Amino acid sequence: MSFTPKTQPFSGKINAVTLGTGDSAIVIGGQNVLPFYTFDAPIENAPKIGIEISDAADSWDVAGIVDFYAGCTTMAERAAKACTLADADFVCLNFESADPNGANRSTADCVADAKAVAAVATKPIVVMGCKHVEKDAELLGALAEALAGKNALFMSAKNENYKTVGASVALASSQKVGAETADDINLAKQLNIMLKGLNVPAESIVMNIGTAAVGYGYEYVASTLDRVRDAALKQSDADLQMPIIAPVSTDTWGVKESTASEADEPAWGCREERGIAMEISTAAANLTGGADAVIMRHPAAIATIKQFITELV
Amino acid sequence: MALKGLDIFKLSPKTNCKECGSPTCMAFCMKVAQGAVSIDKCPHFSEDAKAMLNEQTAPPMKTISVGEHKLGGETVLFRHEKTLVNKNLYAASVCTCMDEATVDAKLSAATVVDYERIGERMYVEMIHVANTQADPAVYAALVKKAAALGRPLVLECWDVECAKAALEVCGKDVILDGATAANWEAMNALATAKGIVLGVWAENISDLYDTVKKLEAAGNKNLVLDVTGKTAKETLANAVLVRRTAIKDGDRSFGYPSIVNLAKLCKGDARLETAYASMFTEKYASIIVMSGMSYAQALPLYGLRQNIYTDPQKPMKVEAKIYPLNGADENSPCVLTVDFALTYFLVSGELERSNVPVNLIITDASGMSVLTAWAAGKLSSSTIKKTFEELDIENKIKNRTLIIPGKVAVMKGEIQEKLPNWNVVVGTMEAVQIPKYMKDKEYEAAAAAVAAERAAKAGTVVEEVKELSFDELLATRVPAIEVVDMGVSYKGHNPDAQTFVTIGERIHCIAPSIRKAMDERDPKPILERAAQQIAAGATYLDVNIGPAEKDGPERMMWAVKLLQENFNNVPLALDTANMKAIEAGIKVYNRANGKPIVNSADAGSRIGYIDLAAANDAICIALCSADGIAKDNEERMMHCDNMLERGLSLGMEATDLWFDPLFLVVKGMQDKQMEVLEAIRMFSEKGLKSTGGLSNNSNGAPKDVRPIMDSALVAMCMMQGLTSAIVNPNDRRLMETIKSCDIFKNHVLYSDSYLDL
Repeated sequence: MSFTPKTQPFSGKINAVTLGTGDSAIVIGGQNVLPFYTFDAPIENAPKIGIEISDAADSWDVAGIVDFYAGCTTMAERAAKACTLADADFVCLNFESADPNGANRSTADCVADAKAVAAVATKPIVVMGCKHVEKDAELLGALAEALAGKNALFMSAKNENYKTVGASVALASSQKVGAETADDINLAKQLNIMLKGLNVPAESIVMNIGTAAVGYGYEYVASTLDRVRDAALKQSDADLQMPIIAPVSTDTWGVKESTASEADEPAWGCREERGIAMEISTAAANLTGGADAVIMRHPAAIATIKQFITELV
Repeated sequence: MALKGLDIFKLSPKTNCKECGSPTCMAFCMKVAQGAVSIDKCPHFSEDAKAMLNEQTAPPMKTISVGEHKLGGETVLFRHEKTLVNKNLYAASVCTCMDEATVDAKLSAATVVDYERIGERMYVEMIHVANTQADPAVYAALVKKAAALGRPLVLECWDVECAKAALEVCGKDVILDGATAANWEAMNALATAKGIVLGVWAENISDLYDTVKKLEAAGNKNLVLDVTGKTAKETLANAVLVRRTAIKDGDRSFGYPSIVNLAKLCKGDARLETAYASMFTEKYASIIVMSGMSYAQALPLYGLRQNIYTDPQKPMKVEAKIYPLNGADENSPCVLTVDFALTYFLVSGELERSNVPVNLIITDASGMSVLTAWAAGKLSSSTIKKTFEELDIENKIKNRTLIIPGKVAVMKGEIQEKLPNWNVVVGTMEAVQIPKYMKDKEYEAAAAAVAAERAAKAGTVVEEVKELSFDELLATRVPAIEVVDMGVSYKGHNPDAQTFVTIGERIHCIAPSIRKAMDERDPKPILERAAQQIAAGATYLDVNIGPAEKDGPERMMWAVKLLQENFNNVPLALDTANMKAIEAGIKVYNRANGKPIVNSADAGSRIGYIDLAAANDAICIALCSADGIAKDNEERMMHCDNMLERGLSLGMEATDLWFDPLFLVVKGMQDKQMEVLEAIRMFSEKGLKSTGGLSNNSNGAPKDVRPIMDSALVAMCMMQGLTSAIVNPNDRRLMETIKSCDIFKNHVLYSDSYLDL
């Protein structure tokens, strides 16, 4: 008797969410199988890669990234350059400098940057806040208004500020909203329910279920991804069928493996190569677990992950 | 699915003859189900039953050994379902297609990565030697060279003559990855003759299945499956289908570990190999063959592997030792925290951000977080002192500033006493506050103040403290008890009644008001909480006096007398990590309304609590876990049997051991709730009593939802046979549910006013 593989497509399906407009628009989600399980059913939309640019990018000192943005001084110039990278599907603006515990850039300055980016960006835009819940509540609303009509995604609405962020981003400005939780599947579901309760359409929600660089408690991320997808597909849980976006670079470029100098860790070898490998490994692990989009920084790492995705779907 | 102990028991002789070495047939069957002993140990099992069991108890996926490494043996597809057991290995590859210089360079590079991370050695565990030509001598020469590294080999060779030559020049820690649809008979002969693992590869998954079937029919089940396809996509399909077919569909012909050869798929692109190796670490390779392993690749991959193969129910621990940070030396101050890996990463990360040179001292706390460890007695001045002695810190470090976590500020005095040469300073409550705290050097002033205090005291003569007997303590250190009318009286308890026993949990040192009252021997807050719980219908009251390292016995004697003298000898559960304190409490305990309860023993480091209960004719709560949550009911029942055996051998009544399945939080362990209920049924079927901290299930749920969840769960538990629970008696819905269930269980005769009784 010979072997006939049993296929396992599910009746549950991940929501397909469109980001951007016109020819450059992309769709994330839409599949009814586990990541890359093409033998069960075709993958509707290949996972997407975003390239991160930041208002603190001046501090990025890795040669491959510095060289790529050579000559760029403003966020808009970096965004324009980032959009030329064929392997990237969208551009991600990180407004980390707005954090009141850090540089505390004003919302008006961030809005001006965003408008300048919008004028030159040829790819869909995803916006990352500054991680400060009160400031984000104000900042993300203002940015959503400034980017009106761009159909951009705004991360992140959290348990503490989802009312303000959800209302301003998804209702007032009709943009997409990212629901962020930290490795807590129950809270992830609850936050989606609350956002839907504000009348945010399910198709306007993307989840960030928690992130970590590999080696740094990544098991919690891995298991949350597994469990979220299990609930979404097997149990057809409509409150967890939102596609997942994983910001990878913000974690991987901050850990010791990527920051320690060659003088401090002579055995480890080239620092840039370590950073690239951390970013690749964390992105691949997230995609294998269920992320429908990853946000990355280094063009070389992005190229590898692009090839990885292309070969697998 | 593996068979359960009870299923095996049904087929056992049930004679309890003890010839197998186990006290009962039941205990033996539990061990067989665990895989701890072979069924052949029993001389009385019928051959038919044995054959049937051997087939049925075989796990869905075989565990294959190569050298010291174990591969496969997985029982689940996802780590959260239980745990993944045998981590995948990484191999570096050399090939006959390479010139000698390349081979030499690759072999020497293969041993470069070698470091330790959270107690695990990280290195390239295996060497993969591929053959692409027909001259046996050429392949044998390469294999010989690779074998010289002393690491197990994977020989990828489909040419029988080459394989034969290779096997002559290497040892037995080898996988011969050579069987195909065409040559399997010859390769099988080679592998079986040498007693080594045989790898099987085929053009497609269907041929792979057929070839395995043929090898199995020929008697070889010592196999691994090379699932490498023509593309990464096909390889993932093969890896997933093989594993899923074995574990989900129970088809054991695919129940073998797998090999994925990335050296072949990625054509030397190291970054692409890193990407795919990450994927196959998660799904589902047992051996990942790489063209090489640099530190850049190893750091993420080994970190990921360590994460994925962490048991979700066992905390990840780091080694207890001194971690010098930011170039710290013997003159830098010390910061102390626990060995829970996440705490370590968080604290060390924040300390590094402060840029202040500091020695991070990790103390053994069984992998618990700071507060949990403190409450469980795993982080105490004694455990810290032990760490200081074992690591010889006093001689290794000259600076005498020791910063302890803000969350255990209460321990400052005790630590100062145990480490008299140090200046103990209380640090921050949260890790995020560390950089500012360190940069501002707040600790320096605090340490100076402690040093000054110590200097002032230095002149005074310390009295020799003589250890007092319980009677002496009682006479001299336990304040007289004043009986106060709290407006409630305890109505009495018949230990033989079948009604559900509630143990009120509100007198607990984790509550700041109780902690303070215990410290100051202030009766009022304690009596108030006791009165409330008694009025609400609690059968027993739990008395948690905290870790109480120093004055445990007098504390407990005082608390016991206080409560019993005020409330008609209300029966009590004595709850502390200090065993002497429990013993002292029992000395003054009045048994009019039932035996004292010792809270609690477990099957691990607290097993001695059973001895304590036995020696003092007390009831003992027996937590069915050793270190961490039991992974399944087989493990829970094994702990149950072990503790029961111990209690009985010490002369206890079986019903004086109250087994606690360990209630789990719905938020986080929702999929394990039914297992807990099943465990309760198993206790009940053995005629055993049970209890537990039932309201743990609703931890983290909204306040208004918790009573509803607790009530629903208690009803389900009572249906399963739960006989007691540690609860908050002030939860009216819960108490009414319990009373109602006692009516349905026919433990109490119904009357319209049953809720008021």
